[in-house]
Amino acid sequence: MKHCKERKELAAFLYGELKDDERKRLESHLEVCPQCRKEIEELKQIVSESDSLKSDIKKALASVDWEMLPSKISENVFKKEIPLSRGSRTGKFWGLLFQPRFRPVYTALFLGILLGSLATFVVFRNSGFNGTTEGRFFVSGDFLERLELEMARRETLDYLEKSQYLLLDFVQSSPEKSAEFWQSNFASIRARDLLAKKKYIDLQLDRFQMAKAKKICDQIELLFFELAQITKELPVEEVKKIQNLIEERQILLKINLVKKELQDNEV
Amino acid sequence: MKPRETFEDDNIYILVEKIKNGDREAFITVTRIYQKKVFLLAFSFFRNREDAMDIVQETFLRFYEKVNMFRRGKNFQNWLLQIAKNLCVDYYRKNYKRNSDLQREKNVKELCQSSYSQKELNSSLDIKQIFSKCIDGLSEKQRMVFLMKHYNQLEYKEIAQILNIALGTAKSLHFKALQNLKVLMSPYMGRQT
Repeated sequence: MKHCKERKELAAFLYGELKDDERKRLESHLEVCPQCRKEIEELKQIVSESDSLKSDIKKALASVDWEMLPSKISENVFKKEIPLSRGSRTGKFWGLLFQPRFRPVYTALFLGILLGSLATFVVFRNSGFNGTTEGRFFVSGDFLERLELEMARRETLDYLEKSQYLLLDFVQSSPEKSAEFWQSNFASIRARDLLAKKKYIDLQLDRFQMAKAKKICDQIELLFFELAQITKELPVEEVKKIQNLIEERQILLKINLVKKELQDNEV
Repeated sequence: MKPRETFEDDNIYILVEKIKNGDREAFITVTRIYQKKVFLLAFSFFRNREDAMDIVQETFLRFYEKVNMFRRGKNFQNWLLQIAKNLCVDYYRKNYKRNSDLQREKNVKELCQSSYSQKELNSSLDIKQIFSKCIDGLSEKQRMVFLMKHYNQLEYKEIAQILNIALGTAKSLHFKALQNLKVLMSPYMGRQT
């Protein structure tokens, strides 16, 4: 059923809350609209029914000693010495700040911070955090020590291996060929490289007290030193003498033994 | 419209300032001025004298606690009635809700069909009891607006301030309350005792 737009004003009209012009307009409408007339009659009846409770209210009002009540209430209030907690300026400030109407704002703020923190955590964990620690790495002193020992061991092994090949070459070739070989630039460069390397591994061998390895390395160094001295004038006899020396002292065999020990990580 | 008794001038602000400084006499004066208005609101809400008296005491106690939050420029009566209204709602939810939850939550139609059957119609319920039940059948806000309007004779503007709602909403809630009361009362119309 379609209702007049004036219908909603009926309650206000009934309670005398309409302005003069509004009231007059509604009165004219009621004259021509039977539907609204019926409605207002029904509402009037409801209002008069509501008055039925007024007698109870009057009775209740009459039953209270209104003269004594304020003193009684004040006695209770002042006896309790209720702290006026929001009296100070700071109290007022906090009172204003934490008004119930701001609750949604604080809730949103709190959730925002929470979500922001979570997002930051996720982002840093996935990418940013790795980025910042790239190149940085933390190890214990013990681990570093073992790493250095391992490096020294490998360097020594490498040195021994290269020397072994070179010496093997030298021993197995005929004195003439060896002399020729050692007179070449290639050989002297390799010998010098190995001598330089020896200087480096010396420090490591001393540090990690690899006595056996040190001893054999010293001998090899001496040999290379000799061989590096070989010039064009060096006679074949001299080469032969060095070859014999290597065999006599079983240098190649010793190298093999030390190598094996090094590989077994026992030196 | 006849002007209603109010104390909304400088006097109330002076009294409130005195209460802030712990003046007991000022407190008694304020209580004396507004006690009946608070009682009226509470009684129309509960239709029970004892509960209404409790609310009056609690309202003035709360008023004293919160007196420093009251600022000049506010309407004191509305502020005080707002405290009373909140207490009524809390008290009602605590003490009444459980007993009449079913009735209150049912819509108007259901109430017409179930609560007020022919059996009840023939019982000894008088019109006051019936009307009282019908008021309980309204939603909390409609009931509050209707009671404030009818028994406290407050203007829509004041009701809107107390309930913290728009003026239009107050008007519309009042109209709906009357409409619903009409529907709820329809089986009993013409059967007045």
